[in-house]
Amino acid sequence: MEQPTNLWRDAWKRLRRNKLALAGLAVVAFLVFVAAFGPWLAPHDYLSQNLDLRSVPPQAAHWFGTDDLGRDVLSRLIYGARTAFLVAVAVTLIAVGIGVILGAIAGFYGGTFDRFVMWFTDMTMSVPQLLLVVVINASLKQPISTWMETQYLASLNPIWRNTMLADFVLVFGSMALISWPPYARLVRAQVLSIRSRPYVTAARALGLTNRIILARYVLPNAMGPLVVAVSAGLGTAMVLESAFSFLGVGVTPPTPSWGNMISDGLRVWTNSPHLLVAPAAVLAVVTVAFNFLGDGLNDALNPKGQK
Amino acid sequence: MLTYILRRLLLWVPSVLLVMLAVYALAFYGAGDPIKLIFLRAPGDVAYDPVKIEAIRDQAGLNRPFLVQFASYVGNLVQGNFGNSLTSGRSVWAMIKAAAPVSFTLGVTAILLTAVIAIPLGMVAGLKQNSRTDYVILGTAVALWAIPAYVAGPLLMVLLLMVLPGEAVPYGWGGLFSVKLILPLIVLSFQPIALILRQTRAAVIEVMTEDYVRTARAKGVPELVVALRHILRPVLTPVVTQLGLIMITIVNGAMFVELVFGLPGLGRLTVSALTNSDFPVILAITFIGSFLVMASNLLVDLLYPLLDPRASDVKGGR
Repeated sequence: MEQPTNLWRDAWKRLRRNKLALAGLAVVAFLVFVAAFGPWLAPHDYLSQNLDLRSVPPQAAHWFGTDDLGRDVLSRLIYGARTAFLVAVAVTLIAVGIGVILGAIAGFYGGTFDRFVMWFTDMTMSVPQLLLVVVINASLKQPISTWMETQYLASLNPIWRNTMLADFVLVFGSMALISWPPYARLVRAQVLSIRSRPYVTAARALGLTNRIILARYVLPNAMGPLVVAVSAGLGTAMVLESAFSFLGVGVTPPTPSWGNMISDGLRVWTNSPHLLVAPAAVLAVVTVAFNFLGDGLNDALNPKGQK
Repeated sequence: MLTYILRRLLLWVPSVLLVMLAVYALAFYGAGDPIKLIFLRAPGDVAYDPVKIEAIRDQAGLNRPFLVQFASYVGNLVQGNFGNSLTSGRSVWAMIKAAAPVSFTLGVTAILLTAVIAIPLGMVAGLKQNSRTDYVILGTAVALWAIPAYVAGPLLMVLLLMVLPGEAVPYGWGGLFSVKLILPLIVLSFQPIALILRQTRAAVIEVMTEDYVRTARAKGVPELVVALRHILRPVLTPVVTQLGLIMITIVNGAMFVELVFGLPGLGRLTVSALTNSDFPVILAITFIGSFLVMASNLLVDLLYPLLDPRASDVKGGR
């Protein structure tokens, strides 16, 4: 008997034929594995310093050498993968959430709200977002840490003293703030075209409420392009996180991030280039992999674009 | 046409103002008291005397309501007065004037390099769609697009270090015609080249199916002439509209490239202002960056009817 076909099975078939996309998928899968099982895979503690072995080049005990504080570079890369992945997933989830809600409402109901959302997305997409985030980060870092300190003094709960938490709140928040407009636009465009399909008219004729039509008929059919956008968005968010850490406005050291490893490596690269090459190469491979996967998914899920 | 330009300008001004307002509000409420920021930096100079500080605040107009302060900031900005840096006390405008030529030279040459490299390669890839040449060009473009400047820059430097003796590796600023410009220029152009290349390729593929291209071929017009005369012109229109996006990638990229290669431009000024929370400088640069991008978007909107007469018909008729 012939297998019933559906969108996802067809897409998988097409994706399997695309060698570059498969390679990208493999790299991404490996990254997820490393991020998930990092603590068991890392050969050393990412913070422990071996002062007898500072800035040594790659060798048997330290595959990627050690940094200028004698910390194992491989372990820091593995923990950096956790940071990158956590930031990417959280930021993308928040951004997609905001984007889907605003885009769906704007596209479905139209009117003033629609115009406002579109004007706002136009605005945020027509300024250099990186500068904007950098400003947000720089100006909110102090108030947030002050606020957390007062929370700590009020409750004496040590969680408020966790710098990692403050970092992540700020990094997630500001990155999500600039990442949602493309999702909102995409969802709005989808909803606009789906809104006038016969099955929506049919649902209306049955007397279903707007909310049910939107949730059950319109949104599920708008998901295809969103999947492509999310896979590309995960890669972008990862790069963005490393960019902020590189500029010194991302996660605070000693939390390892590929970005701050690159900027640390940049200070000593003439003497120990491995400190620069290792994180830079990892970041390069991962971003290229995400892009190949994104392009492959795009071709697989939107076959009409391919002639 | 004139009313169209006027309407665009009228829409543009509030957008620029709004971006400034957002950035100013962030600095105003987020960064905290500028007087305290200054004194925290130089605690020995003036004893922390609340009365004295209050007097200074009054004098500097920092006790006025937010919107009044914002209005006076914008007023000063229009006259080219960006205030003074919190760290050095120098005029922000002077700092920007010193740094801008470096970034400007870099940015303009990068845009030129992008046009010269990306458009011909995009044409070739599009004309030979799905051939081996196409795959090689497109694959390279995807890779260039994906690798950020702060990764590509250092990796290229390390590669050069393997070939050249240490002191010969380019670092710092030597002007437009120095060898030191080559590497930063290449790295800064990576993303714009990838962007324009893909755009050109897609446009070529679309234009190639047009009737007039088939007619030209049927007439026996040589392939090169078809490419240059019938395909290139319509392709340029959508490519030019990407100017705003190129501007964004260049403004963003300059920050990293200047930091990596030690160029004394606006990007490095931004990063050092960030590490010192020097808000007048951060504000001014964010404003200039957004202004550049929004101005190039406006320019595209104004040029568009000239490039494609059909667009002005639609817009004029509305």
